[in-house]
Amino acid sequence: MGKAFDLMLIIEFIPTLIQYLGITLQILAASIILGLVLGIAAAIPRLYKIPILNQLVILYVSFIRGTPILIQLFLVFYGLPAILLLLFSIDITRMEAIYFVIITYAISNGAGFSEIFRAAIRAVDYGQTEAAFSVGMTSRQNFFRIVLPQAVRIAFPNMANSVIGSLKDTSLAFTIGVMDMMGRGDTLIAATAHALEVYLSLSIIYYIIVVMFEKIFSKLEKYFNRYQKADVTAVA
Amino acid sequence: MTIDIPFIWIAFKEIIKALPITLILTIVPLLAGFLIGIGVALVRIYKMKFLYRIANGYVSFFRGTPIIMHIMVIYFGFPLLLDQLSLRFDLGIQTNKIPIILFVLIALTLAAGSYLSEIIRSGIISVSNGQMEAAYSVGMTKFQAMNRIILPQALAQSIPNFTNIFVGFLHTSSIAFLVSQKEVTGAANIVASVNLKFLEAFIAAGIIYWGITILVEGISFLLEKKVTAYNRGGVS
Repeated sequence: MGKAFDLMLIIEFIPTLIQYLGITLQILAASIILGLVLGIAAAIPRLYKIPILNQLVILYVSFIRGTPILIQLFLVFYGLPAILLLLFSIDITRMEAIYFVIITYAISNGAGFSEIFRAAIRAVDYGQTEAAFSVGMTSRQNFFRIVLPQAVRIAFPNMANSVIGSLKDTSLAFTIGVMDMMGRGDTLIAATAHALEVYLSLSIIYYIIVVMFEKIFSKLEKYFNRYQKADVTAVA
Repeated sequence: MTIDIPFIWIAFKEIIKALPITLILTIVPLLAGFLIGIGVALVRIYKMKFLYRIANGYVSFFRGTPIIMHIMVIYFGFPLLLDQLSLRFDLGIQTNKIPIILFVLIALTLAAGSYLSEIIRSGIISVSNGQMEAAYSVGMTKFQAMNRIILPQALAQSIPNFTNIFVGFLHTSSIAFLVSQKEVTGAANIVASVNLKFLEAFIAAGIIYWGITILVEGISFLLEKKVTAYNRGGVS
């Protein structure tokens, strides 16, 4: 055990913990991709105001925005097996915890994404649509060639924030027993009793990853904005 | 495994007793963080020497790492630090007597400070420079202009962002259960483990969080209307 606090241990722990970064990124990637699909599916009833489905999506988004991710995680972890068993008599209680995490984060991201898409599409000036129609485009051409490319540009910064938020949220996956970086950190604490050092190493890893993501996203944002005129802002 | 609907109500009554702790864990960090946030925002806007770099690092680090890390690092690190200090200067502080909630509050305050500083900063930047010039032209000092002209407008514009942060921290406070705080999620966990009815207990907790979120969003909507009543936009 030795000293109560050992600075060197922080550096020693990083290689051990970073091996589990893959799991964290897997959770992130899978939940983002599923979330995108879910988000698009949820945004359509809202944009076209399809009755009943519209209200259901409002309820879905409100619930996800209204409850902590931790509660959602527990609800999926305990609720999904119960529902599937009850309705379809499928037993998934032995499914690995990581799938529950991915499902939860996908549901959670889907709600966020649907709101982002909706806001972005509505933010495109209606004059653009009128202009597209005036040159003889069909409604479908207008959507894919005119509205969507502009909406992607508007949605991108919010999407980037969502992804980074989601990355930080994955640190809660260990609460249902997933062996990601946090889970490995827990076992390291049990083995070495150096909790502070483990959490500091984890903080450093997360920070570096988040900063890298921010750099990449800001490059992409510049790329998406390449046709925009420079913003004129009056900074105090 | 079936869902015991009546038990949700029993769990609800039990869990809602823990609501005050959740509210303390939400409101205290936000109020204390607001003061930090204004200070940090002003330091960053006026680019004060040295302080500016520290403020940038603080905001970047706390926004770049999951809040669970802040809670854990302070929960494990603060007692160690205080023990060392008390040993060196013979202060006679017994760290094991300090309630854990204090560490959680400190961690959440630091996190809230970083998030709020960004919101306040963007609020201040969004107030047009002409307002400052007008304030100077009627003979106000810099402090008066900031205090009477810029900040009220900046804060009024930031109400939707403040609501998001409030809801975010309401949900974040659920992490405190990992350091055995008996707030809503912690209470739900206890009710769940005692009765072995996990799903029902977390449904009840979810309803509580959802209800408060809807309430807060409603209040914020009314407040926003009232506070920005003077503000007539470009078209109306």
